[in-house]
Amino acid sequence: MFSSRLAGLILAGALALRAQDMPLDPHSSVRINLPDSSPVTLLSTNVGESRASARGGAMVIDLKMQLSLRNSGSQRIRGITLLVLSQEVTPGGKASVAVPSLDVAPDQAFPVRIDLRLLRPLQAGSGPLVEVSLDGVLFEGFQFYGPNRLNSRRSMTIWEMEAERDRKHFKSVLAANGPEGLRREMLESLAFQAARPRIDVRVSRGGRAVASAASPERLAQFAFLKFPDSPVEPVGGWVEVAGNEARGPNIEVLNSSGRPVRYVEIGWIVKDRQGREFMAGSVPAADKDMYLPSGQRGHVLQDTALRFSRNGGEPVAIAGMTGFVSEVEYADGKVWVPNRSSLVNAQLLRLLAPSPEEQRLTDLYRTKGLAAVMAELRKF
Amino acid sequence: MSSHPNQERLALFASGDLGRLTRWTVERHLHRCADCRRDVSDFSELRSELSQSLELPELRWSQLGPEMKANIRLGLAAGECVGPRPASHLLLSPRVLAACASLLLLVAASLLLERPMPSVNEARHVQEGAILEASGSGIQVKEGGQALMLLNSRAHDVNVMASGGTMRARYVDADTGNVTINNVYVQ
Repeated sequence: MFSSRLAGLILAGALALRAQDMPLDPHSSVRINLPDSSPVTLLSTNVGESRASARGGAMVIDLKMQLSLRNSGSQRIRGITLLVLSQEVTPGGKASVAVPSLDVAPDQAFPVRIDLRLLRPLQAGSGPLVEVSLDGVLFEGFQFYGPNRLNSRRSMTIWEMEAERDRKHFKSVLAANGPEGLRREMLESLAFQAARPRIDVRVSRGGRAVASAASPERLAQFAFLKFPDSPVEPVGGWVEVAGNEARGPNIEVLNSSGRPVRYVEIGWIVKDRQGREFMAGSVPAADKDMYLPSGQRGHVLQDTALRFSRNGGEPVAIAGMTGFVSEVEYADGKVWVPNRSSLVNAQLLRLLAPSPEEQRLTDLYRTKGLAAVMAELRKF
Repeated sequence: MSSHPNQERLALFASGDLGRLTRWTVERHLHRCADCRRDVSDFSELRSELSQSLELPELRWSQLGPEMKANIRLGLAAGECVGPRPASHLLLSPRVLAACASLLLLVAASLLLERPMPSVNEARHVQEGAILEASGSGIQVKEGGQALMLLNSRAHDVNVMASGGTMRARYVDADTGNVTINNVYVQ
């Protein structure tokens, strides 16, 4: 009996190694759940280019979905977030795809593309590989619909605030300096984007990002950049650092505004031993029930470990860190983001990624030219 | 280095197999060349996937244990069929003592094998849990030998950022012109 099982095992392994690419059945692979009251309806799903292939004892599934959705509500859509779940593959993990900076009129159709790759054991269950559901839709005027399990309301509101800020900036440049001024602004932004130093980050929840670090651990203090109009001030902060790994950032903040705050996010700049600075990420408030009354202090902390590298794996030894308040949400749901002059004065534009809207407009300039950007600005 | 390093050299760089001088020249080039950085990242990812695919299939220890115990019981039952012998001879015989010791060893081994063993994935979970990481192809949440990756194959320029237990990749979709923001989360 034992030998027959062993033979079966070996045969299964051999078959797995011989397995070829195969197309996926769209009906059994993907389930899309939109609630009955959803302001978007699904027109079609295309998974035509999706493939599955066996590699050793694992199955690799490339799922290329293009959803065609229609705005079935009565307001213009500014953004959408879809939750992507594959519990069978990553029991503790999930994903989402968001499309901000939209301008979709009622009854108009729009595409959302979801390209994903799953790596899972050969002998997996029989349910759908991926389930896609709606997490939220943002309308003009910051109206929101959706279960908001991923806090997409806050994210999309912030992106829309940044979009309004940056469109206003580009419009003022156009008004003051004409098309040539706008062209210079576009070129300058593209140059910043190309020259922006990049860093690779690996994140693990709790524990360490790697099993052991050769460097001794030390506590490193944050330095802070402060914006004059920020409703929250960073007071002090530290993180455990070992070599190219930082763990458990903990930052104390003071609500200096006259309104209660329920969410704060601190931008995080890392400096290496050569003095180069990189935008490493951000530290969001971990407490879901955070409530910071006016004049009170609170902590922004995370139980995560981050490992920094660049150029395909070269470790970036951490020599210093700088933080700044990048997002604030008041208790009434309104949000604050830094204005452009604060970012310019703090010389942050050379480090920060552009806002989604600036990225979209500069890409539009790159692909279709200045006239297309000017036409786009006139829409808003 | 004015021209791009060839693919073999980039692959050797990704695996850390280049000599010091060559590695330095390739590094200098990578500082300036996003395409080659992406190639190196792809090679690193491929190496990782290959190492995972070479893992042996998982053995079902919980099934093998009872099977071995059953075989031992069968052997003992077969021994009884040989027929009883005088007690004094059995206790003193070195052959019987050796057989008993072997049986004890087998029982101990079967008990050890029957104990639920963590799978390879579970062992990794204990070591490092779920990981979020980015590569040239996209961002992924990975746990043991399983992964969920959101790809950014239609992107000209990708901005990746980590925020708490979230990793985010932002790019403009070349076909639709829309900004797409992919997120993977670890709980």
